Amino acid sequence: MRKHIGQSIVGFIILFPIVFLLILSFGKQWYYPHILPNLWQTSQWEALFSPSFQLTKSLGLSLLLSISVGLVSTVTAFYFSKKIAYSYNKTTWLSLAYVPYLLSPIIFALLIHFYFLKTGLSGSLLGVIIAQFLICFPFGIIICSTFWTSQIQSLENLSFTLGGSTTQTLKRVLLPLAKSTLLLCFFQCFLISWFEYGLTHFIGAGKVKTLTVSVFTYVNEANPFLAALAGFLLILPSVLLLLVNKRLIFKTSKKLADYE
Amino acid sequence: MLSIKQITPWKTALFILMLLPMLLGLSYGLLYSFGVIGLLNTGFTTEHWSDVLLNFSFWKSLLFSFGIGLISVGISLLIALWMVVNWHRDLRRGKLSTLIYLPLAFPATVVGFFIFQSFSKAGFWSRFLYQIGIISDIEDFPSVVNDAYGIGIILASSFIITPFLSLILKGIFENEHVTKFQHIAKSLGASQRQVLMKITLPILLQKAKTSLLLFLIFVIGSYEIPLLLGRQNPKMITVAIVDKAQRFNLNDIPQAYAMAILYVLFLLFLFFGFQRLAKLKTKAYA
Repeated sequence: MRKHIGQSIVGFIILFPIVFLLILSFGKQWYYPHILPNLWQTSQWEALFSPSFQLTKSLGLSLLLSISVGLVSTVTAFYFSKKIAYSYNKTTWLSLAYVPYLLSPIIFALLIHFYFLKTGLSGSLLGVIIAQFLICFPFGIIICSTFWTSQIQSLENLSFTLGGSTTQTLKRVLLPLAKSTLLLCFFQCFLISWFEYGLTHFIGAGKVKTLTVSVFTYVNEANPFLAALAGFLLILPSVLLLLVNKRLIFKTSKKLADYE
Repeated sequence: MLSIKQITPWKTALFILMLLPMLLGLSYGLLYSFGVIGLLNTGFTTEHWSDVLLNFSFWKSLLFSFGIGLISVGISLLIALWMVVNWHRDLRRGKLSTLIYLPLAFPATVVGFFIFQSFSKAGFWSRFLYQIGIISDIEDFPSVVNDAYGIGIILASSFIITPFLSLILKGIFENEHVTKFQHIAKSLGASQRQVLMKITLPILLQKAKTSLLLFLIFVIGSYEIPLLLGRQNPKMITVAIVDKAQRFNLNDIPQAYAMAILYVLFLLFLFFGFQRLAKLKTKAYA
């Protein structure tokens, strides 16, 4: 009984923000002490289907940005993680990969902003992609480095011994085996980019209006209803990705258990 | 003749992509803070550094951030430990096993906004308590958001960290076969309390210590949450640095860079110092 009550409370704490944001996104007026908005509207949700609506643009821009950062970071991290895994200084490189994380993205942005200004990348989408890549790439290395075990190395050598070329080994042996690691890496980098505010706002100079930047803009404009809608849109893809991700992790661990 | 492949081996490329931007940023910050470069700077000076080092508000911000980090991670650790110890089967299968993943999808911006809208004086819980008659005025609701003790920041940070920590501890619980050790201890006559204090907690905490440190660093370096839920005094360190860098007074920028470098050094010392300590301890046990 006590366990059920406890788990219900945890369930409520987890689900309440999603329901709360959804309700608020339909609000038009919310005077104190009304628990729910006293005036409702569907127009902001309807406006999402219009390509000229700022939030629709932000949604598209955020998707483009996060997918680009996720893809570029995953490919480069996979390549370099192999080099690191097979090198003598593996531990040193992996420790150094933590450093950009330690810096905090906003402080990193503050320190490198000058170079983005000088190269004209500040305030541009490409500038934000590069800045986010610099944060995501080391994180991707940490994720991908778990893939390069001695077993994988043996399989790679076996493929070469049997006459497989580098391309064939990559296509037929390594990539199929690395599928789940690559997907995990992509999802994590996508989410870091998708959630990022400080660095995006700083390097984007307020011109690259992603969804997180929109939430802050609406909060500053004292428009909680649009901020809630932007917040809900921010949660939605990440919830879907995480459910897929969870299934993926579960599948992998099940496969491993079967294998053992 | 040298080929391009020989000139740029992977280490150079990795150095350029991973470390060079950071080193360039730190060098720029360092030169700016010492007055060597910068718009209003006139030449080498240690004035900005002494201003920062002798400034009480900088240390206050750093300590405040560290304190908020410790409390947030502490609260999350207690909740996560309690859940994993008592509900480890439910965390593996059933509704809770799916639910626990959901908060991982909440960005700090959204959590900050949610806490603001639900815990501010005009927020959801204030309205709820008013409707059920516990408070009779908006002012009766305690200041939880933009407060002096950073309660809003702690609430939001704990909300973000707890599910992550629960999943990490759950993973350790399963991988380290804690249940088996618990059974052995019980069959040897250990009490429930002894099993918890001598078996379960030491295994979980020992394996989770690096993750705990990374969460502490995450809270200290968080920006969105204190921006939404913090106040002008005391400020979290990241907000204090950015505020100084973006002020109209250009004379403050060198100080902002000095603060940023001190902050980076503090975190590097915390991370690598901890790792070194952990290594020494392991060696001593061996």
